[in-house]
Amino acid sequence: MQLELTEEQEALRDTVRKFIETEVPLTTVRDLHGEPDGFSKDWWREAANLGWTSPFVPESHGGGTLSGRATSDAVIIAEEMGRLVAPGPFLPVNVVAAAIARFGTESQAEAVLPGLAAGEAFASWAFAEPGDRWSPDAFETTISVSGDKVNVAGEKAYVEAAGVADHLLVTGRGEAGLTQVLIPARTPGLTIVPGRSIDMTRRYGRVVLDGVELPATALVGAAGAAQPAVEYLLRLALTLQCAEMVGVAERTLQTTIEYGRDRFAFGRPIVSFQALKHRVADMALWVEGAKAVGEELVRAVDADADDAGMLSSVAKVHIGRRCLDIVDDCVQITGGVGVTWEHDIHMYNRRAAVDRAMFGSPEAHRRLLLTHIERQTPRGAVR
Amino acid sequence: MSADIESVEAFTERARDWLATNLPSWDDELLDDVVLQNRIFDGGFGGLAFPPEYGGAGLTLAHHKAFYETADELDRQLPGKYWVSIGMVAPMLLERASEEIKQEFLPQILRGDIVVIQLLSEPRGGSDLAGVMTRLTRDGDQYILDGAKMWSTNAYLADYGVCLARSDWDVPKHPGLSMIIVPLDRNDDVTVRRTRMADGQMGDVCEEFFDGVALPATNLIGAEGDGWSVAQTLMAHERNQTAGVGFGYLGSGNTTVMVVDRSALAASLAATARARDVLDDHSQQLADVFVDSIVTKLTSARIMRGQMLGTHEGPWGSAGKLLGSEAGHRAALASLATTGADAVVWDGDEISVENAGTAWLLARSSTIGGGTSEIQRNIISERLLSLPREPSFDRELPYSEVVRNASKF
Ligand SMILES: Cc1cc2nc3c(=O)[nH]c(=O)nc-3n(C[C@H](O)[C@H](O)[C@H](O)COP(=O)(O)OP(=O)(O)OC[C@H]3O[C@@H](n4cnc5c(N)ncnc54)[C@H](O)[C@@H]3O)c2cc1C
Repeated sequence: MQLELTEEQEALRDTVRKFIETEVPLTTVRDLHGEPDGFSKDWWREAANLGWTSPFVPESHGGGTLSGRATSDAVIIAEEMGRLVAPGPFLPVNVVAAAIARFGTESQAEAVLPGLAAGEAFASWAFAEPGDRWSPDAFETTISVSGDKVNVAGEKAYVEAAGVADHLLVTGRGEAGLTQVLIPARTPGLTIVPGRSIDMTRRYGRVVLDGVELPATALVGAAGAAQPAVEYLLRLALTLQCAEMVGVAERTLQTTIEYGRDRFAFGRPIVSFQALKHRVADMALWVEGAKAVGEELVRAVDADADDAGMLSSVAKVHIGRRCLDIVDDCVQITGGVGVTWEHDIHMYNRRAAVDRAMFGSPEAHRRLLLTHIERQTPRGAVR
Repeated sequence: MSADIESVEAFTERARDWLATNLPSWDDELLDDVVLQNRIFDGGFGGLAFPPEYGGAGLTLAHHKAFYETADELDRQLPGKYWVSIGMVAPMLLERASEEIKQEFLPQILRGDIVVIQLLSEPRGGSDLAGVMTRLTRDGDQYILDGAKMWSTNAYLADYGVCLARSDWDVPKHPGLSMIIVPLDRNDDVTVRRTRMADGQMGDVCEEFFDGVALPATNLIGAEGDGWSVAQTLMAHERNQTAGVGFGYLGSGNTTVMVVDRSALAASLAATARARDVLDDHSQQLADVFVDSIVTKLTSARIMRGQMLGTHEGPWGSAGKLLGSEAGHRAALASLATTGADAVVWDGDEISVENAGTAWLLARSSTIGGGTSEIQRNIISERLLSLPREPSFDRELPYSEVVRNASKF
């Protein structure tokens, strides 16, 4: 996705690609479909050793970046995961690591980050609420501070890898505004309702918080001051997700073009039919556009630029929509085998559909963008 | 049309009375398909537009249509497993098979006692059907069949298949084909395997392997070398089937009709969207599901009327198939988008297929199965609108040469 990688980043890309190809190829992804967690913890430790959990963790706690730009490093892995619809709680672990490293206290960082970096512990962000609510304005979960205690009540949904998480970063409303707490999964009053998704390996869960009481040291950042952190984490999650979708889309298109060169109908390769060539051309440009906006988003997120929020929505609209369109049209080009279990493309369709839905749909992000668009000074409106 | 045929109105009244007393409603205990079809046939309502000498009622397609419409109106149970056998193969046999085959097969098919499916597509390709590679080799007064077929709907519950195979490799592709009846209930030289679909469930479609299957020459439908033209007849009935017109119209007894009423779906999606507070985001898309549904249904009904009036000649079934399947695909996308995260995630450890996300994985079945949308568009542009054909690379040469050339394209 990124046109310019450092030498170390290129090496990372190559080792991640090789690691995925040898350790979790598509045949393994099929096997993991039947497994409760959807990934193997031993394998995750190896992935962590290769740096999958390092970018957002400071060196002092067992992590470190290659390029000095954590997001730029991380999307390299996310994109490779998309190429082979790889398993593993990459997004939730890294997002929580980033939250703690950046907004947590030193003692939280010491308690949590080394485990995450080593691949020994797991974490997830309990953010959205049931009914597809991804906008904090609509949250009902409350986090109230009284003295040195914090009480949490509410329900969080679509929490990736909730079943294996040791720590849950919960976003809720406090008296003073958005507030976040880090809750150990085995806290009384916290129940995880395990869930599945159409993705082969990605598991989700609902987190029910009923009478959860924690020491005030569980707060991540000051009570009521989490708005900037939430915005940052949301942008980061979207960036990782979009990079993954770029991998999904590009790989699916490549595979389909190769298949279409070798598949003959009416005495010629099917990709020689203009009806298909034009669509392939459109799709190739959608992928190029996805990379362009993805790359720009990475820059903005790493630099905490003012346009990062806007770009994250633009990326989600374009990539969320086009990635699914591409996989869908590639099914059509593949023909009948494209709707069978035996063919790999359904695994890409599954990942594309799940990514499209999480952290706000393209429709939701269009709505967000409209607010941004309307803030621009109009050059003259037509009545 | 002779004057002594019962009027459609009178027939409809008779059918209504019979249906009300003889077939259970969908709310009653479900009857086996064979029982239902036997009852329909024995009651005089099987093969309505087939001649009496083959077990039919000697009426017309208008009577046929009225029967199934009335059955649906009364919410009567109709058998589901015969749509290929009765809706497509039977009318093809009526038009193309020898007298012996018609007398032997049609009454049994129409009564539902046997099921005959089609063996057309192959692993190597379905769009270019005339390119089939399954071999049919003459050996005295019999033929030997070798090869593989794929996508044969209902083959796992069928007794016979009509198989398109290459009987001559030294002539161009179309005249090299023959159509022959193959028994499927033999397990030594015929293997039938159901295909697992993208949602993880077993489909109605199957793969078959034929390993030196000996067949009497009298099993041929048409003469040797007539296979392509017989296949055309079959496919015209298939397109009618998916468009829900002609012999292929079997009411709720055929769930593969692509021209379906999606107004209820639009309504339930709108309710979902409102409950989730995203109606604004999806209002245009959901209204289009409704509009598509109405336009597609009216178009298909108009084509059917036109076919009866004679104003719509030619492969109009392709139009209904294309419109209906593409509308279905758009509706699947609308369901996925409107249901959002809850379309793809659910509570519990079990794999569930009852969600819009899983349905999405099969949304392309209908724009591929029964001839892809691209092929329907080629048919509509070249055969309905008479636009110039694409230059051909494979029509004139002996087929063995086409196969050799393709790799050098
Ligand atoms: C659910 C389902 C049910 C089915 N049921 C049956 C059945 O009962 N009986 C049966 O025989 N078959 C059945 N089929 C098979 C179906 O008819 C074939 O899948 C279909 O014809 C396409 O063939 P293919 O899959 O080999 O794709 P291919 O023929 O390999 O086509 C691949 C792609 O190339 C495109 N293409 C090919 N030629 C052209 C062209 N000239 N111009 C532009 N584009 C072109 C196609 O549109 C497609 O997108 C079924 C398929 C499905 C999915």
